[in-house]
Amino acid sequence: MTNLLADGIGRNIDWATFGIVVGIMSGVALVLALCIILISRFCQVKEDPRIKEVEQRLAGANCGACGHPGCAGFAKALVEGKATLDSCGQTNKEAQIEISNILGVAFDGATEPTVAVVACCGGNQCDDKYAYQGYGNCVNQNMLAGGRKACEVGCMGSGSCVDACPYMAIECFDGYAHIDPDICRSCGLCIQTCPKRLIKRVPKSAKVYVACSTECRGKDVMTKCKAGCIACGKCERTCPNGAIHLVNNVPIIDYSKCINCGKCLEACPRHCIKYVNPADEPGKNVTKVESETPDKAE
Amino acid sequence: MDVLGIIIAALFAQNFVLVKFMGICPFLGVSKKPSAALGMGLAVTAVMVITCLVTYPIYVFVLLPLKLEYLEIIVFILIIAALVQMLEMILKKFSPGLYSALGIYLPLVTTNCAILGVAELVIEMTTVEEAHFVHRVFNTVAGGFTDYGMAMSLGEAVFSGLMYGLGFTLAIVLLAGLRQKVDKLNVAKPLRGFPMTMLTACFMAMAFYIFTLI
Repeated sequence: MTNLLADGIGRNIDWATFGIVVGIMSGVALVLALCIILISRFCQVKEDPRIKEVEQRLAGANCGACGHPGCAGFAKALVEGKATLDSCGQTNKEAQIEISNILGVAFDGATEPTVAVVACCGGNQCDDKYAYQGYGNCVNQNMLAGGRKACEVGCMGSGSCVDACPYMAIECFDGYAHIDPDICRSCGLCIQTCPKRLIKRVPKSAKVYVACSTECRGKDVMTKCKAGCIACGKCERTCPNGAIHLVNNVPIIDYSKCINCGKCLEACPRHCIKYVNPADEPGKNVTKVESETPDKAE
Repeated sequence: MDVLGIIIAALFAQNFVLVKFMGICPFLGVSKKPSAALGMGLAVTAVMVITCLVTYPIYVFVLLPLKLEYLEIIVFILIIAALVQMLEMILKKFSPGLYSALGIYLPLVTTNCAILGVAELVIEMTTVEEAHFVHRVFNTVAGGFTDYGMAMSLGEAVFSGLMYGLGFTLAIVLLAGLRQKVDKLNVAKPLRGFPMTMLTACFMAMAFYIFTLI
């Protein structure tokens, strides 16, 4: 109590007590830190080193599409034999082979890789039923009378999927979302996010997909959207292999029968059957021929 | 304070969640399934017991003699955080089953105000005359002895830590059970989900408030 110094504002600071307080706090902190260090030294749990190795080779997006808590959880499940590599659609083939070697299981080629496509190409060509001036992305917009688009299953182009994509494979222009198949790893997060459920998976080897999901009759589509499918059935009749069928006014492509001839795409009067990879489009014919050969080899 | 009194107070009359309104976050957040709620409740109970066991002696034998009672909160928070960390590591080593069962709830307990609340509660001071346990402290300034009345002894403190933890478990398991029933009912649309949980918790709190009037 002898060390009473004025701090200039008229208060007295008891430096002796201050010292004791600092001493006690640092003492307690030191003792606790020592305890933690000792306990962590004695209680080290030997984890399977393979878990770490497998985790390093996984895609590392922690997207959770496999149903495990992140890539670390998936790696643990893999090593324990509770999961198979098929659950992960994102790890590339080389890494999958390496992981199979670490785990000592045969690599069975896994499943056929897929990519996501947006089954709508309306965008700016589709009418709005009202002007949305509210906050945020498609999920918010969808709460107000199902979004601003006149079409019940029209892409609003406000980018909920863009936010959800961990790989930045999705871009919104022309009023609807576009997915870059080269970047997409088919993790499925956008599929869960889209309030209209417009995003679907197609095999990576597929060349064309149907970019419209409306189940309305042709006349109703005509009044709302300049790009939507009018269920004319031309694609169904054109397909040489019978791979396309109209179900509820929506053409469905059976990719097990599709031979990637592209005739449906040429026949479609509304141009709503599109190339999965925009680089395949005519005018870029060189890449088209090149990409066809490995597709058939697979 | 007798043992029966502690049990009645901790489980019903002074129930941490439903009467004192502490630890509401896990109460509402982890009460979707009774099994998860039980895990959370047991984690809280374990941490409460250990906290009382450590903070009580530190308060009585370090902070009181040095007249630094005002440091209690900051010291207790430090101790609780460190204790939970150690408990987690020990569990991971010796009881991996329990560790994975408690999972994320154990670290969550660290910042739960119910834990700090029980640490504060067991060092509650009454007057020397009323106190159950009197602690004599050498007063450095005056050079003489000062008597501090403590409401509880160490044994009582640890026991009430256990009982308050069980009171928390009781409340959270009850709510989890009720929530499962309420989820199946046909509730008006604006009240569906979380609002209905709040209402359920409200009625539970009203029911438990009766015990304080006895």
